[in-house]
Amino acid sequence: MSRRQFDNWLRATIASVRVVLRKVFKPLVVVAGVSVVVAGCATNAPQDTWQPKGPNSKLIDDLQQPVFAVAGIIGLIVAVAVIYTMIKYRDRGQPIPEQIHGKPALEITLTVIPALILAVVSVFTFGAIFKLAKTDDTQMIINVTGQQWWWEYDYPAQNEFGITQPIITSGQLVMPVGTKVLLRETSRDVIHSYWIPALNGKRDAVPGRVHTLRLEADKPGIYAGQCTEFCGLSHANMRMEAVALSKEDFAKWVANQQAPYVAPAKETLAQQGEEVFLNQCVRCHQVNGLMRADGTPAIAAPDENVWSGAAPNLSHLMSRNTFAGAMFDLLSKQCRDEVWNAPSEVVGAKYLAGVTEECLNQKDLRAWLRNAPEVKPMYANPADLAVSNGKYRGMPYLALSEDDITKLVAYLITLK
Amino acid sequence: MFSTGFKYFLGVTVVSIAALIMSLFVLDQLAIAGVAISMLITVTALLAGIATATHDGQTTTSTPDSSGELATQSIWPLVSGVGVVLLALGLVTSSIVFFAGLIVLLGALVEWMVQSWSERASKDTNYNALARKRLLNPIEFPILAALGLGVVIYSFSRIMLTVNKTTGASLFIIFGALVLVGGVLFAIKPNMKRSIGVAICVLGALGIVAGGVASAVSGEREELVEAAAEGHFTHAECGPEASKYFDKLAEGTLSLRSSVSAIVVYQDGELIANIQGLVKPQKTLTIGRSIPTNIVFRNATEGEFRLVAHLGDKVADESTDGETHKNETCTQLVAPGAEQSLTLKISKPSSAKNAYYLYIAGAEDKKIELVVP
Ligand code: HEC
Ligand SMILES: [Cu+2]
Repeated sequence: MSRRQFDNWLRATIASVRVVLRKVFKPLVVVAGVSVVVAGCATNAPQDTWQPKGPNSKLIDDLQQPVFAVAGIIGLIVAVAVIYTMIKYRDRGQPIPEQIHGKPALEITLTVIPALILAVVSVFTFGAIFKLAKTDDTQMIINVTGQQWWWEYDYPAQNEFGITQPIITSGQLVMPVGTKVLLRETSRDVIHSYWIPALNGKRDAVPGRVHTLRLEADKPGIYAGQCTEFCGLSHANMRMEAVALSKEDFAKWVANQQAPYVAPAKETLAQQGEEVFLNQCVRCHQVNGLMRADGTPAIAAPDENVWSGAAPNLSHLMSRNTFAGAMFDLLSKQCRDEVWNAPSEVVGAKYLAGVTEECLNQKDLRAWLRNAPEVKPMYANPADLAVSNGKYRGMPYLALSEDDITKLVAYLITLK
Repeated sequence: MFSTGFKYFLGVTVVSIAALIMSLFVLDQLAIAGVAISMLITVTALLAGIATATHDGQTTTSTPDSSGELATQSIWPLVSGVGVVLLALGLVTSSIVFFAGLIVLLGALVEWMVQSWSERASKDTNYNALARKRLLNPIEFPILAALGLGVVIYSFSRIMLTVNKTTGASLFIIFGALVLVGGVLFAIKPNMKRSIGVAICVLGALGIVAGGVASAVSGEREELVEAAAEGHFTHAECGPEASKYFDKLAEGTLSLRSSVSAIVVYQDGELIANIQGLVKPQKTLTIGRSIPTNIVFRNATEGEFRLVAHLGDKVADESTDGETHKNETCTQLVAPGAEQSLTLKISKPSSAKNAYYLYIAGAEDKKIELVVP
């Protein structure tokens, strides 16, 4: 191809691309723009950062709204100016205007104005940062530990709240409303990050360090969140909820968590399930108060089987309504909606009802017991465990029979 | 026919093959030595091939001009011989000797090759010497300088381990002052004779080396010897301190202090825990299972104390000679006003029967309960 031929070809191509763009591009931009705007109106957006539900998130919101407004106005002015200039002075073959080199007065003004705006913003930002970092007004402490791919919560003994012995749970963080709760976060393996958008910003959970995060909810409710620091295979499935209960409801929850273990009645399916549990599950999962056949307490040894050294404590599994890093519901769809969409006056009572036999989401729980790594990606293939000293990241496939699964479910449902 | 170079490299190849075979019998672990010798064999065999192919690098087939100067005396054959001996010796003694031999040998071979090449570069001896320098000085000088500096630094460290602490400090001051004076002298008299500067430096270095040798002979200072004999660098025991020597300001873990789980303070005869987020001092500390947890111990008393973590008893079995042992870990002795960190990772829960606690060695009643749910 000669130079001339090539030029002609290029010109023709550009012309046809232009035609296509003119026909397709404009409608495309309009559709994209409209859908972005419409998406912003979604009502079912539990992790919306613009709907603060507690003083800490409100503090952030009060900062970000005006800053966003100022930035939006400035952005609009700049965009309009740029577009105006582009159209007004586009190349129509007119002679090139006189070229000048800078206007010190204008340039200095245009530097000083943003600097001033930023200075004002930074004053308020620092104020908010320091307020969010405060720890000396704490009323309640909850230790939060991240591991691949679920959150564990332990409540140290705090007599003011009736917590006389430590409580351990996972997935759903239960807290009293109107109480300044301080999370003390750490991790057992890699870096995770705790984020309940409705209640506060994010805070990294780093192995070997303790980072604090303030949480306080104004009203009872279930507030969704997720891990926001990439932490491996199932990072996207590492979710959690903060459940805020009224003070009375919280006291009931505490009492239930501290209630002693009730062994299933003799010669029931649940009792057979307990046996299977002792054989298969107790090497990882602790159930407080569970005894072995020889009368010794069954102490789990997750440190010998799981890379992070932990597996969820199942003592009161059925008092929460999600499982496996809040990835699955323990409640059937209908029962779930009833709790989650309940108005805040009754949500506590509904939550405390726990998972009843009729409401249990048999399907997902059974699938989990049948083959956990199949429903949640985890490093649990026995052939690939050389790098982790033979320890699993997550729950392995246990080759249980359907019979055993039925027994186990009958047993788990008793762990109220 | 067979050139001199070829004969030499062939010889080395044969010797190294013999060495490899010998080492097969002598060494249990052949891995590194085996690879090294095999590489040596490959390299020397290759060099032998190259040597015959190029007739030892002679470009013309004509016999050397008899009017040209004879090759200078070379020490490199001797040095490479030493290298080979070290290599063989290293095989049966220690790997350090082996690698020293390897380095000597390779260095000598390079020097030798470049030297013999440069001697044939032209008929002008001066030019030949220059060619050799051009090629090798950029390698030789840094290596020699590093070696020289290493010797001086090592000697200096011997001196510092021998003299007592105050003399050590004074020596540092004197050395620093001397360097400063020397620098000033050079600065104000830039065209001072070079040889004077060199002489000063060489004398200084020799002095340090001599001091180093003398110190090495007389041994480390008393307290270091004693400390090593008492084995307190290892800190196996958590009981009351038996030794009077310890690192009084072992606070080298600053980064830990920014977000520790608790700061445990021993003050006014009481042990308390300041837990981040809790305003009041605590007597209980809850830490999760299998979580690496950092605790800082602050000694706010006038005495020297250590913090011990009692993590239950080891049950009697073979690994404990049939006895129950305390399962404990501790900080070093901490000087008045100083701090030290302690990292705990506990995988079994605590219970009434199997209680965990932190206490002060020698004052067992000063306790903080450790709850592991
Ligand atoms: C090798 C260790 C191991 C064994 C054995 C094991 N699990 Fe798990 N299990 C885990 C881990 C780890 C998780 C958390 C996985 C996640 O959410 O990412 C888990 C999660 C669960 C959960 C969800 C808990 C929650 O609060 O989110 C249930 C229920 C469960 N396992 C039941 C069982 C039962 C029943 C058995 C016995 C048949 C069993 N597991 C055996 C390691 C184990
Ligand atoms: Cu995560």
